Amino acid sequence: MSLKTELHTHVGSLRRYALVLTRDPVAADDLVQETLLKAIAKSDTFQPGSNLRPWLFRILHNTHVSELRRAKTRTDASPDLPDPVARDCQHTQLELKQVLGALDQLPEAQRMPIILIALREMSYAEAARCLDVPLGTFMSRLGRGREALRRIVQGVGAGKLTILKRKEGDA
Amino acid sequence: MTRTDTPDPGLDPDLMAYVDGTLAPERMAEIEARLAHDAQAREAVAQWRHFGNLLHDYAASADDRPENLQIAALERQLARKLQKRRWRVVAFGPVVQRIAASVLLFAAGWGTHALYGSGTGNGGTVYPQFVSHTLAEHTAYKLAAFERASFEAYEMDAALDWMSQQMQQKIDSPKLDRLGYQVETARLAVVDNQPVAVFYYRNPDNERITVSMTPRALEQPDYSLRVAERDGERMAYWSSEGLHYAVIAATDAGSITTLAAAVQE
Repeated sequence: MSLKTELHTHVGSLRRYALVLTRDPVAADDLVQETLLKAIAKSDTFQPGSNLRPWLFRILHNTHVSELRRAKTRTDASPDLPDPVARDCQHTQLELKQVLGALDQLPEAQRMPIILIALREMSYAEAARCLDVPLGTFMSRLGRGREALRRIVQGVGAGKLTILKRKEGDA
Repeated sequence: MTRTDTPDPGLDPDLMAYVDGTLAPERMAEIEARLAHDAQAREAVAQWRHFGNLLHDYAASADDRPENLQIAALERQLARKLQKRRWRVVAFGPVVQRIAASVLLFAAGWGTHALYGSGTGNGGTVYPQFVSHTLAEHTAYKLAAFERASFEAYEMDAALDWMSQQMQQKIDSPKLDRLGYQVETARLAVVDNQPVAVFYYRNPDNERITVSMTPRALEQPDYSLRVAERDGERMAYWSSEGLHYAVIAATDAGSITTLAAAVQE
């Protein structure tokens, strides 16, 4: 695969990852642009022959984290998440909203592994390299994060989903 | 080992690997048997998978977005930068440093004044016939009329043996893989009743190199290394140990000399 083709594939992955991180297509593209600008500036640090994807994801990850730190008000000031892109029925959309909301309650160290693995584009080892953590740490954070996510969704979601199901049944 | 006594499913790497589809096939049945009897693990696995699916589908909705022209422009810019970076690292890497040392020896053998001498001009320059032929091979990409045999990359060992026999001269494969080029095909052509071995290489960025080796008859001149340019193609040619060599690629003078040294080495 040529470098151009490989890079194009990775940029598609970055856009997907950025969308889940930002929940806003415009902000996601801004984040990808910022990532590419930084990658261009840091291109001398890339080691040809090494894997390009973790290098790009690591830049995006660090850019996102820096941005969050700069604008920490995002989650504090806006309790309502932007509506995710509608792709499915109302029930799925509500579930997605709950999962995204629950993700926001997780520490960043657990949130990132869950999102990276959900993309289904890389191995555990590669995802660990994206976050610059050892594989064991990554696995531990992923497992604990998934369980925490489950507990949050179960706690938060049971009521809303019951109501929704009842409404659907009434209709 | 199956960890049936683990209270927290999130700490069980087998369950995670099962959900993420990375578990070895022979372990799948084992985990599925366990899940059939472990309601807690079963529920955890189902929910991880469901949440993963929701996130995956949401992420995939980015593909429905129109192309972002600014991102596309930055992507092209980054590709160019990385390509240059790749070349620089190759050019200063240990393999090429060794080749570079041999370039100096290679050129010094004839005196460096000879290196970029005649042949750099445009129209009217007359090149040795083996160079003209290689240039025609490179630009026209195989002149079938002169072909005696053609070989694919996987046949290269047999091709070298056969061509050495036909040329009555031992020829070695140009070692360009060290510079990121892979051989595509090789062929034996016949020009003026002389056999010519031609090798075609390409790198992942679709850049082509053509290398030829022609037996040097006793009455023919022994060419010192020359680098020339014609119609955007760089040519390096020289004679050594009973063979004339020509290397042609669309590259700069420094790179063509490195490629030539790698062929000669």
